[in-house]
Amino acid sequence: MLKSWKLKEVVLMSVFAVVFAVVYLLFVQVGNIWSGVIGPIAFEWIFGIWFIVSIICAYIIRKPGAAVLSETMASVIEVMIGNAVGPRLILSGIVQGLGAEAAFAATGYKRYDWWVLCLAGVGAAIFSFAYGFLVSGYSALDPSLLALMFGLRVLSGAVISGLGGKYLSDGLLATGALRGYSISRDVPKKHKIKGEVIG
Amino acid sequence: MSSRTWLHDMNPALKFILVVISMLTLAWFFNPWTPLIFFLGIVLLQFLFSRVNWKIWFLLMIPIGFTAIGYLWTTLLFAADTTGNVIWVWRGFEVTDEQWKTALSLTFRVFAFSSMSLLFAFTTDPVKFVMSLMQQLRLSPKLAYGVMVGYQFLPVVREEFILIRHAHRLRGIGKEKHAWQRLLGMRRLLIPLLAGAVRRAERSAFAMEARGFTGERRTVYYEPIGIVGRDWLMTIVIISLLTVSSIGGLLLS
Repeated sequence: MLKSWKLKEVVLMSVFAVVFAVVYLLFVQVGNIWSGVIGPIAFEWIFGIWFIVSIICAYIIRKPGAAVLSETMASVIEVMIGNAVGPRLILSGIVQGLGAEAAFAATGYKRYDWWVLCLAGVGAAIFSFAYGFLVSGYSALDPSLLALMFGLRVLSGAVISGLGGKYLSDGLLATGALRGYSISRDVPKKHKIKGEVIG
Repeated sequence: MSSRTWLHDMNPALKFILVVISMLTLAWFFNPWTPLIFFLGIVLLQFLFSRVNWKIWFLLMIPIGFTAIGYLWTTLLFAADTTGNVIWVWRGFEVTDEQWKTALSLTFRVFAFSSMSLLFAFTTDPVKFVMSLMQQLRLSPKLAYGVMVGYQFLPVVREEFILIRHAHRLRGIGKEKHAWQRLLGMRRLLIPLLAGAVRRAERSAFAMEARGFTGERRTVYYEPIGIVGRDWLMTIVIISLLTVSSIGGLLLS
């Protein structure tokens, strides 16, 4: 799978993973304190944050595996930084990445419209919820609460990671820094012109 | 005693696999004893075979305690299984002994998972961990060294973050009042940060290739990481702790 990858694409993923690993860990702290007050549901509405790197990398690099590899890398770096959630983050990172990857694979890695990105966020939400169901013991909770949690997570995946990821990547594209990556090869003209002016 | 360094010297990939195995095993138990015994066992192991700064350990346990409390009352309020004898009534709200057991179990599970994670975090060198993933678990060198590059940039990213914040403040940005404004303001911070990251990624990739990095697997490593007899001993200790807590939990409940 890695044969067709350029080294600069791998390193790009890893450097993005570092930036977002820091963001992720910040939000874990926020979520932990909140969850003492309102329970595990505290994490649900911000859950989309944790899928964002896979969507941004897949959107920029546009190669099979970009989503799952970048999310896994971010989780490895989170573990390297050292935190109380620990090595199991890697497992959840792989699961979330696979969820996002599934959406891109379903479109044959050809479409990167906003709705595909939202779908990737939803895919990551579904996969991570199934994983959480096993590991965090959600089966002990009331089905109606579970439904609420699931709904919030899917919504958060679609909005924060899908739309938010697109919003960030398009902003980044406009700076002109992404020349040389797949994203700037097939974009409408106005972005390129904007990129030249700003970057 | 030199045994206090055993967990530190243990093969990181093996340790990682053990953490994952014990986590996936504990996920199947809904009695309070299994996670509790496992938690106490892990703390004891850490006490015997590692040099841990317990002050920092307790500090890190505080936020985990919050999560655990959240789990406790959520599971009590919204339990799926409401059978069993009522042991506590408060304003028409009843708690049965089954509910109480499940809630305690999930709470202790949070502690059990966290103790295992902290054990890993406190005793593992991050660079050795990635090298071990490459040498023992056959992670692609392209990915392994890619992760290392990212990791080396961590202090640079932090520095740049502070720099961008200062630049914003000089221009009078960054005094958002509402949470949603701060969330949208993330874009202002993240885009320059990411743009810098892209440029740095490109430069270091070129530099690596210029120095002959092809991404092929090597046969000899500068710092070989192996698995020695003591690693298997620790593996047996942890697996037997897992077995004891699983069986003990089933017997006690």
